[in-house]
Amino acid sequence: MNLDDKIQLEILANRFQAVVDEMAQVVFRTAHTVFVKETQDYGTVLVSPDGEVFAAPRRYGVMMMVGMPMGDAIAAMGPDVREGDVFMSNDPEATRGMCTHLSDVFLWKPIFHDGKLICYAWTFIHVSDVGGAVPGSIQPSSYEVYQEGIRVPPRKLYREGVLDQSFLDMFCANCRTPEQNWGDMKACLASLATAERHVHELIDQFSEATIEASIPALLDYGEKQARRVISSVPDGVYKFSDFIEADMAGLGLVRINLTLTVAGDEFLMDFAGTAPQVRAALNLPSFSKNGHWMLITALINWFCTREPTIAYNAGLARPLKIRIPEGTIINPRNGAAYGARYSTSHKVCDVAIAALAQAVPMQLPATDSGQGSILLVSVPDFASGGRKVSVIQPIVGGAGARPMHDGVDGTMVLLNFLKNIPTEVLEREMPEVLIHHYGLRPDSGGPGRYRGGTGIEIDFETRAPYTTVTSRAMERYIFGPPGRQGGHAGATGYTLFKPRRGDDRDIGKIDLLDMTIGDRLKIGTQGGGGFGYPFERPEADVLDDVLNGLVSRETAAELYGVIVTDADTVDIGKTRDRRDGLRRAAGAAPPPQFGFDVARLDHNRRWPDAMYDAIDTEIRDLPPISRQLIYYEVQQHIEDIWADGGTVVAGDVPALVAALREEYGGV
Amino acid sequence: MAANDRARTAAFRLGVDVGGTFTDMLLMDAAENRVLAHKTPSTVEPEDAVMNGLRAFEDRHGVAPSSIGYFSHGTTIAVNTLLERNGESVGVLITEGFRDTLELRRLRLSKANDLFVPKPVSLVPRRHVREISERLDAFGKVLKPIDRAQVEAQTRALYEAGIRNIAVCFLHSFRNPAHETQAKAWIEALYPDLYVCTSAEIWPQQREYERFLISVINSYIGGRMKRYFSTLREKSRGAGLTTRVFSTKSNGGVMSLEAAADRPVQTMLSGPASGVIGACHIGRQIGENKLVTLDMGGTSVDVAIVNGDIPYSTENTVGDFPVIMPAVDVSAIGAGGGSIAWIDPEGVLKVGPKSAGANPGPAAYARGGTDATVTDAYLTVGICSPDAFLGGEMTVDAALGLAAVERLAERLGMTPTETADAILRVASANIYAGLIPHLARRGVNAGDFSLLAYGAAGPTHSFLVAREIGFKRVIVPPTPGLLCALGCLVADLRNDFVETIWQDLDDISDDQMRAKFAEQRAQGMDWLAREDVQVERLFVLRSADMCYVGQSFELTVPIPVETDDFTTDDLAAWFHAHHRKVYGHADADAPVRLIDVRTQIVGEMPKPEVRRIEAGPTEGEASAPWRKVFDRGAEHDVVVVHRATLEPGRKIAGPLIVEQYDTTIYVPDGFMVTIDEHLNLIGTPT
Repeated sequence: MNLDDKIQLEILANRFQAVVDEMAQVVFRTAHTVFVKETQDYGTVLVSPDGEVFAAPRRYGVMMMVGMPMGDAIAAMGPDVREGDVFMSNDPEATRGMCTHLSDVFLWKPIFHDGKLICYAWTFIHVSDVGGAVPGSIQPSSYEVYQEGIRVPPRKLYREGVLDQSFLDMFCANCRTPEQNWGDMKACLASLATAERHVHELIDQFSEATIEASIPALLDYGEKQARRVISSVPDGVYKFSDFIEADMAGLGLVRINLTLTVAGDEFLMDFAGTAPQVRAALNLPSFSKNGHWMLITALINWFCTREPTIAYNAGLARPLKIRIPEGTIINPRNGAAYGARYSTSHKVCDVAIAALAQAVPMQLPATDSGQGSILLVSVPDFASGGRKVSVIQPIVGGAGARPMHDGVDGTMVLLNFLKNIPTEVLEREMPEVLIHHYGLRPDSGGPGRYRGGTGIEIDFETRAPYTTVTSRAMERYIFGPPGRQGGHAGATGYTLFKPRRGDDRDIGKIDLLDMTIGDRLKIGTQGGGGFGYPFERPEADVLDDVLNGLVSRETAAELYGVIVTDADTVDIGKTRDRRDGLRRAAGAAPPPQFGFDVARLDHNRRWPDAMYDAIDTEIRDLPPISRQLIYYEVQQHIEDIWADGGTVVAGDVPALVAALREEYGGV
Repeated sequence: MAANDRARTAAFRLGVDVGGTFTDMLLMDAAENRVLAHKTPSTVEPEDAVMNGLRAFEDRHGVAPSSIGYFSHGTTIAVNTLLERNGESVGVLITEGFRDTLELRRLRLSKANDLFVPKPVSLVPRRHVREISERLDAFGKVLKPIDRAQVEAQTRALYEAGIRNIAVCFLHSFRNPAHETQAKAWIEALYPDLYVCTSAEIWPQQREYERFLISVINSYIGGRMKRYFSTLREKSRGAGLTTRVFSTKSNGGVMSLEAAADRPVQTMLSGPASGVIGACHIGRQIGENKLVTLDMGGTSVDVAIVNGDIPYSTENTVGDFPVIMPAVDVSAIGAGGGSIAWIDPEGVLKVGPKSAGANPGPAAYARGGTDATVTDAYLTVGICSPDAFLGGEMTVDAALGLAAVERLAERLGMTPTETADAILRVASANIYAGLIPHLARRGVNAGDFSLLAYGAAGPTHSFLVAREIGFKRVIVPPTPGLLCALGCLVADLRNDFVETIWQDLDDISDDQMRAKFAEQRAQGMDWLAREDVQVERLFVLRSADMCYVGQSFELTVPIPVETDDFTTDDLAAWFHAHHRKVYGHADADAPVRLIDVRTQIVGEMPKPEVRRIEAGPTEGEASAPWRKVFDRGAEHDVVVVHRATLEPGRKIAGPLIVEQYDTTIYVPDGFMVTIDEHLNLIGTPT
């Protein structure tokens, strides 16, 4: 790049930013559905002819699209690409990881100038339903993609400007919400047309050669910046593992294991030791692509936190190398179910942050609540004989504390674009639902010098029979979000079912729940992890939290070491004594990197890495179905041994696996 | 018209804009058909600057305060109180189960990619939010009655904690305000010294967080505003001013000081609104109603898109807070004159988002700033002369600006002028990127619009922006630095009313719908009667927020007729047409839902034809007859003239620099400049 080009580059970066921002505006303003309006689940980008995102909005939409691999979708269409074509796909397998579940419908349009392909405008939108086993198409317990709706491998929706009506009819006939889907798709089409017009204007103003040359230059620029930021991280190997809680799908704990190698200006994210793919809709079809968007979100956000003006394009993803064994939950073989893969992606983010935090502790927060669930209620529509569906709220928890600041209460940093729904709107749209309580969950934030954000609580009643409730992607009901540097873990989630008749009961994560008139459901979400020792938190801040009802007097005394009197003041003498005691107990050594809760510590004790590594080694050669079967069975078996008072160590694993393979007919 | 009314309108009219740095005052002399201007530094007690200005008008022009018949005034106190978080403590009574509505907000944070995104802090600490056991359903029916003893007990607790402002915020009160009204009455009976406001009386729109917040903000800023207003009134009476005082509003209108004291939240965004009102006034003078206004100050560029009517938005924000009352739709975009240029480690030149602001300001201001800013770039390329800032009254050291630019130039391996030129090109691209999505959102084509520039740097940069975006023409009013004061002076009485309906149009009868609008009109007339001002003309602007059933975002559709006999079918047809206009498609068969009905009542104030504004010296001299300007990689010899020498009818081709007291205008090659009969400078691409 010469100097003039560099100035031109910044100018064109702004121009392309204007294009994608406008595209996003068009989708947001025209789309018809709640996924777009309330959860911002859509995206608009410009893509190089090679399939790399070179401009993406920073303020609108999902803001995860950097690193979305379009190359295979482009390749799938071959050379028959003409002006006026619009392509469509929602198929993770045929696009090899561009789509990651069937609900995201992608539409893209080639932009030509004088017969030459310059770039693509690209959109996706999470449509309300693409058919399949359940309304909304996503059910965590689905175990194969065929249950999740209609699949559209890349194909033309428009040929040179002409709509393929029969194909559209066929697609819509397979969806429960054909009109809404078409409305959403029309919003995307309007957005694509906008992009095409503006790219033409840019070419007119700057020349075709300049625009063509600027696309790779922008991507290179992003890459250079990312490499420089990475270079500031000490070389080394950093490991972390965490678990997707697939217990409601009968799958126990699903391990995500990351070995992050920092070498010069590259990251290698090696996920060896990650659990096999599962018979549930949690599989994330990344195809082990370098820089895959759903694996690197946390790292991209770290770039943007370090450098807010960084070039926001796929160049950032280039130095993020990925290695994932095939047949694992984040690189499944074809045919797996994908619908609820967001929880998996989120867990990968948690793991990536925790791994990188070991290298640069002051640059990353403690763990978020880890749950980005959407609570949906469906009631009978007696007038029409059908059903009405509505989102109650996004069920998210608190943010992890940051190295210098408390975590945000009631929402996570990683999903902070989610909006809640006004109770007044919700109760008007679905009067069958009455919200009794929607607020912060006291005492749930992980205690620390900086407190983790509190979770939320929602308590609602249905006033209709045959009510069903779903809330996919519920997480961290077993292990709370870990704290860091002496900070404690946040509280785990809970779900309390309060039937009109019978006793209240804690029912854990929900897949599908039936409710009837007068039944109530109360959900409490996780607090974020804390950062730093809680007894180092200024007394005034602890007192404030106590007076505001976000930390109980008991927690203040026990963990923060601050004794609050009945007169709402700090008992200085008792506080000093208590804090001295806590300090002594903590010792002079540096604080622990991670503050796990009791359940996770107990798990780590019984399940050291060596045990998981041993299982992984023993089942590695098995085909997918047997691998996930044995993986799950051996875990249960080992748990049974522990429960019976026995002991298992890694050296016992080969024999246990061999016995199970024998028992299951020589798999 | 009665004799005393004629006297009233014939008297002097005063418009005052109290800003952070300067207090701008315009005095309209209807009899002589002229406007006198005065710019004075703002003071610690903001009203003192106003008194200084009044004295100046008396001393210089012999205008006694007692001969002023109308005084309208805008201030940033409300917005600054909120942004600086120094309002009064507020206590909130809220529906049981919803104590955290203000804490949860709408969840969404401002920066999605920022792991260290700041934690929003509620205006009201959680301990001052007290739950009341009461509940309505979504149709306003009482599910749980309200209990007086509990309201009193919770109020007492807040009172004993020293709280004197109470916001009463109950769910669904926009549908049925009975519980809120009842609670307010009980509280006022218990403690007559408390200020109490309910969410539904301030702005009865659906969506609890946004509605509650408005009443909380109103309570939070109310104390300071009332104190300011009463001192202003006292001091102006002391100075001999006998007329009533009016305050500007976020909706671009004015209201009496009494009304403003009761609803200070309505003044929150009045500053930027006044600028747009001033711009619209200029547009009206010259028959142009398609304007993009560009106000470039130190830290940002504020833009508004005027497509026929004053643009309104209900999605405004102040700091972290959404403000859903209609406000003139002004958006802050891109870089300002104080935006800092820097080079990232890859060697790419960036401008902003950091700004040197007013303090220390650009390096050339010699107040300790060392970073090169956009203003330093203007000086370095030759667009601005150090001798022409505020007519030479302001000290500017071009060498310091050049030195700052040089530091960047060395690292880029370019000359300082090349570097400064690059800074301006990047700044223009920033403005472009900020402006384009706004044009798109309004569905307008820049080629049909005139760019109207004001603020200190707006006229300096406007042609550079116009060159990129292709506006029909550029308009620079005679005193671009005083446009907000002009807006204060010419603003009309305006008040907004809203009611949430939330019903499918098919389920509403024509009579029901008309009754809603009729009720709002009656409320509006009642408000105007209470304001007790003789207006020239009265009109009612109606609109309806509608969406397709199933769509969760509504469009505000203006009602294009003045009569009352339109039908719900008409409403649907207007909605379809508007939807098509904005988004390019519509579905005439799809059912339409009516979300809100809105009415704005406007009492038009007298606006005599103003031929010229006398600001500063009426004669002036350019700092030099010509100078070299480096623009887009080449040096040009550019003629420099003083604005005061430009008589109506003058026609000059760019490149050209026009210097004036409050700004410098740069007209590059490719534009022809004419001066119209109102002394506006009009630049047209050639």
